[in-house]
Amino acid sequence: MNAFTQDVRHPQADGRPASVDLDALARAVDAAARQIPPAWPLAATVAVNPFLGQTGEPLARASARLQRVGGFRLTRPRREYLDAIDQGVISDDDLRSALDAAPERHDLSDLAALKRAAGSPADPPAALATVAELAAGADGTDWPAVTTDRIGAWAAGYFDAGQALWAAPRGQRAWAAYRAQAIHDLTPEILGLSGFARFVAALPDDPMDAIARFAARLGLTASALESYFHQLLLGLGGWSQLARQRLWEAELANGADQTVGDLLAIRMAWEVALFERFEDRIADAWRGIAAAHALPVRTSAADAVDAVLQDAAERAAQRRLASALAAPGATPVAAGPERPLLHAVFCIDVRSEVFRRALECEDSEVTTSGFAGFFGLAAAHRGFASDVTEHRLPVLLTPARTSRSGGESDRDADRRARFGARARRAWGRFKLAAVSSFAFVEAMGPVYAGKLLRDGLRLGRAGRPAEPAPEFDPSVALDERIEMAEAVLRAMSLTSGFARLELLVGHGAGVVNNPHASALHCGACGGHSGEVNARLAARLLNDPAVRRGLADRGIAVPADTLFLAALHDTTADSVTVFDGDADTAAHQADLARTRAWLAAAGRAAREERAARLPRAERARDLEWRGRDWAQVRPEWGLAGCSAFVAAPRSRTRGRNLAGRAFLHDYDWRADEARGYPVLELIMTAPVVVASWISLQYYGSAVAPSAFGAGNKLLHNVVGGVGVVEGNGGVLRAGLPWQSVHDGRSLVHEPLRLTVCIEAPTQAMNDILARHPAVRALFDNGWLHLLSMDDAGGIVARYAGDLRWAPFEGAGESAPARDAA
Amino acid sequence: MVQALLPLLAPALLLAAALPSLLRPGGPDRAAAVRLEWAALAAFASALGAAWLLWTAGPGTSPVLGLGGIGLSARLDVVSVTMLLLVCFVGWIVVRYAAVYLDGEPGQRRFVGWMGATVAAVLLLVQAGNLIQLAAAWIATSLCLHRLLLFYPERPQAIRAARKKFVFARAGDIALVGALVPLAVGYDSLDIATILEAAGQGVAPAGVLWSAALLAVAAALKSAQFPSHGWLTEVMETPTPVSALLHAGVINAGGFLLIRFADVMLLAPGALAGLVMLGGFTALAGGVSMLAQPAVKTSLAWSTISQMGFMIMQCGLALFPLALLHIVAHSLYKAHAFLAAGTAVDVVAQIRRPGPIAVPGGAAVARAFLLALVIYGCVAAVLGVDGKSAQSLALGAILVLGVAYLLAQGLADRAPRALTIRTAVYAVATSLGYFLLQTLAENVTAGTLPAAPSPGPLEWSLLVVAVLSFGLVAIAQATFPLWSDHPAAAGLRVHLSNGLYVNALLDRLLGGWTVRSGQPHVHSHRELGT
Repeated sequence: MNAFTQDVRHPQADGRPASVDLDALARAVDAAARQIPPAWPLAATVAVNPFLGQTGEPLARASARLQRVGGFRLTRPRREYLDAIDQGVISDDDLRSALDAAPERHDLSDLAALKRAAGSPADPPAALATVAELAAGADGTDWPAVTTDRIGAWAAGYFDAGQALWAAPRGQRAWAAYRAQAIHDLTPEILGLSGFARFVAALPDDPMDAIARFAARLGLTASALESYFHQLLLGLGGWSQLARQRLWEAELANGADQTVGDLLAIRMAWEVALFERFEDRIADAWRGIAAAHALPVRTSAADAVDAVLQDAAERAAQRRLASALAAPGATPVAAGPERPLLHAVFCIDVRSEVFRRALECEDSEVTTSGFAGFFGLAAAHRGFASDVTEHRLPVLLTPARTSRSGGESDRDADRRARFGARARRAWGRFKLAAVSSFAFVEAMGPVYAGKLLRDGLRLGRAGRPAEPAPEFDPSVALDERIEMAEAVLRAMSLTSGFARLELLVGHGAGVVNNPHASALHCGACGGHSGEVNARLAARLLNDPAVRRGLADRGIAVPADTLFLAALHDTTADSVTVFDGDADTAAHQADLARTRAWLAAAGRAAREERAARLPRAERARDLEWRGRDWAQVRPEWGLAGCSAFVAAPRSRTRGRNLAGRAFLHDYDWRADEARGYPVLELIMTAPVVVASWISLQYYGSAVAPSAFGAGNKLLHNVVGGVGVVEGNGGVLRAGLPWQSVHDGRSLVHEPLRLTVCIEAPTQAMNDILARHPAVRALFDNGWLHLLSMDDAGGIVARYAGDLRWAPFEGAGESAPARDAA
Repeated sequence: MVQALLPLLAPALLLAAALPSLLRPGGPDRAAAVRLEWAALAAFASALGAAWLLWTAGPGTSPVLGLGGIGLSARLDVVSVTMLLLVCFVGWIVVRYAAVYLDGEPGQRRFVGWMGATVAAVLLLVQAGNLIQLAAAWIATSLCLHRLLLFYPERPQAIRAARKKFVFARAGDIALVGALVPLAVGYDSLDIATILEAAGQGVAPAGVLWSAALLAVAAALKSAQFPSHGWLTEVMETPTPVSALLHAGVINAGGFLLIRFADVMLLAPGALAGLVMLGGFTALAGGVSMLAQPAVKTSLAWSTISQMGFMIMQCGLALFPLALLHIVAHSLYKAHAFLAAGTAVDVVAQIRRPGPIAVPGGAAVARAFLLALVIYGCVAAVLGVDGKSAQSLALGAILVLGVAYLLAQGLADRAPRALTIRTAVYAVATSLGYFLLQTLAENVTAGTLPAAPSPGPLEWSLLVVAVLSFGLVAIAQATFPLWSDHPAAAGLRVHLSNGLYVNALLDRLLGGWTVRSGQPHVHSHRELGT
């Protein structure tokens, strides 16, 4: 115990008691850090549930919490619910059943009371003020903006992954790096906070000691800490989230990381410096705020109303889903030949639904299914001519193997490509360095007339050229390969009825000039496009030795079945087949027909998608849309996603789910005998990933200021890791406004995801009981769970606490099904 | 005679397309954006027509459209046609980009209106045949741009930057008018060609020194020379196409002014010397500040400041043809760089892929500088140095010092041979490209722009100082990884990355961080759209 922390424990000079011990402090810092969702750098970003820290409580309470510390609600404006009620989109039954299920009703007695409440706008939310805000009120200087500007200027350098040639000093933890910078920065002094550099210089080296000193100086009690810390971290936006991601990665590797706590100390240093400066004017107001932070979060009647209305909107969507599923399928059921010619496995991504429906319409010899697009291969991959390891797997998992593009025979090409890349890199540095930039501009500037024309006329190319086939490196022993193959096929519910051609289709977005390109790629592949995993899986499943092993384990793959990998470009709806990876001599005719089907399905899918996209009058426009460097809405990504269906494809085949449903093939009867391992996998991995995606869209739509990336027109890429709006300030994680809004209205209706699974409810209960974190998502309403019966109708609703209730919409959809 | 008015068609087309949007500025409007795109393309075609006219009929000035000798007249010569083509081309690309980029934006129509008006104002400026038009277009450019900079008028950061810009722009306006009045009086004409011809013959009426000095001041203020540069690094608060237009079409106006009045400027060696020092300092300080910027658009803005400094220095060295070349080359590059700023994530990700960077040691850097000098000598020997001014040779030396950086990367001890060869090829190509373009610029503008006079003692000492200081920075940059991590450099980095606090000081003076009434306290939580 050093002298300083002893100071903290003793009464301060001004007589205020210091009541917080270091353990409680550390716990509060940790708890506040876990209230913040992680954000992945944009080079390979994935959707994250922005409410990851609040999944232990229901929506109303989380909304109350974030109103208090952030000043925003987690629900839509009342007006929008009221419109939906008036237009009959939300029915009285929806409202009534939502009201009945509400965890907290406050004074909502009945439907009439609920409707009355829906008609009156809620009070604008107000956050508790920070010291910086009180200081702004005291002297008229915008201290909150100064604070975020200064911290942002430092953080941009600290998190920079290679933008600045003169990088900020490396190898220090955030607190030390910040202090080293702040003691030189004259800006705060110039703007009126004199002595700030000296103040920072005198702070303890250990950020926890500093936080303890700050907490005592601000007179915070132990119970106020977490709420206040949460507020400060939330105010730093994406910077906190980037730091939180470091903690996530560290914990996945059984390590630890203190960056979030360091950021908190940095932000608090500003609070305390401003407090000391303006204490005489703000101390009284501050005492009240510190006391308010110490109170537990309570929901208001308004929060309860909003949460019930949101739930009702989701129930309305579930009714629509149930009737869509109950409607007769438009596509002829694949009843033609015994064995389909083509079976294509797509990612569960909602964008696959449109394409699969179109593809199945082409011919009854075509079947498709859905599976997580990383095809179960958790590979840490190195691309061609690259030293960078890419985690091509869901961020929930740790890599199980390593792979690389290109084998021994590609080594020479690899080396040549590296020399080319290094020369281009040297050229890039030449272009940007201080004196050489003049030589560059004078000698090469005119060349850019050509580049302006090329890009202005959309003559460039989108995406990177295909790399040589990937392979495991080091190679994997046969036993393990067989095990992997068996696990993948069983998880896909694909153990019999193999087609002549089995297409494994990954997906990626062919876009240019888009900092958020990776958000349009495959989330299951860690924000990369999916071709590497598909090619690895196809190669694995074509291996004759693996096939023999599979036969021993009861999975007989016919000798004339060929697995081929493909990549679905979700922007242009074109599919590239990697037919060079395997011997296709015996399948030329199948391949020709497949290509024709894929091309026709692409046209149909573009037709359907063009209707939703602005400035896409003709379906053909979508072919070049991704190459348009000015396009801020190249595609809608997963906007609109609202349902997850795990059932055999026959339940959804031919039903138009409008590109809004994740479709995972699942056959519970094949899973039952083994104790539902596949169901457990689905509910704990793909469902959780889908919930992250759905809630990211939800958060970016209802709370764009906190959980959205802001206006794309103002985006300024920082350090190659994220974007800020305009000059600087906080990093903006989440989805850009243009990704959820078309200029007139939201294109993503914010709904929490509805998960429909065809499986016995008892089996689902058993799994939920084993996985408390997953159960919390359902128990607190962040996900809805519905069960389907053997006829594909939705029959039961998970009501929390491992209890089930009959599905209210079941009655009205049953006749339609009977008619079919 | 009617065809002499052809250049005026370009701004007329843009204004006609922009006018409906200016009159009714609310709401998104896809049709208006497309209309402006076609107008910009037509304007580019009319600029090509003007170029053809210059080729066939030679330079001249159109009659004045207006009353009492006050009105619009189009000057047709190499300078105006070059600028016309440049602004029309970049303007067309930018307007075309914006039509897609701002689709669905609530302020789209307002944007279209002011964008069209701004480009039109720049076009009127660059072809101005008389002083009144020049001054009016100069001021109009800045006022129209101001509306674009405040496209999101509710953003405090945008207001802060625009306020600083406004102060310098008005000071520049005053300087310009203050410069033009003595010119008009002294040469007894509003016609620019008449004035230039007299000045070219050495006629120097009383007050012309003042004019030259004030022209230099106006140019420095317009082209963001230290210490008026700060606002430029803060105007990312407006959609990307505005940045592209600003950095490629508007910021050049200062340099254009000096080139336009080259004959007048030559009468005031003191003003030119001042520009060399100011431009040189801005070029170096801006270039070094740029190195420490982690945000892509901010880094591009610093790059513009430094490039403008270099261009102003070229003007100060009386290398007007090269300054014109620089304006063209920089505009094309910077327009593309801004519009393609969304690639920054990819670009940064690519850097690490091929493995670690080979850091050149001191010996490699020394070899690189020697090799660069050899390349310089060879290229000069092949292309010939006859007729080249000392200023132009010194400038070539500065650029070759930059090329040395490229060579140094290839000569690092750990760099493979293939890399050494490639960087050497790039270096030779760059040097050749530079000298060829330089020769081209000098030949094309011969007869329109005055040649650099032979240097006197003042010019010689400036040349020596310039080559030495650029050389010093070039060495610092080539040996950069060897010293930049040293703790002693940490403070320097902080000061430079903050632009030597010019913005902070101005903000303090102008109340830039004052809370405005009605402004919510919580800044990061402002709702978008709906």
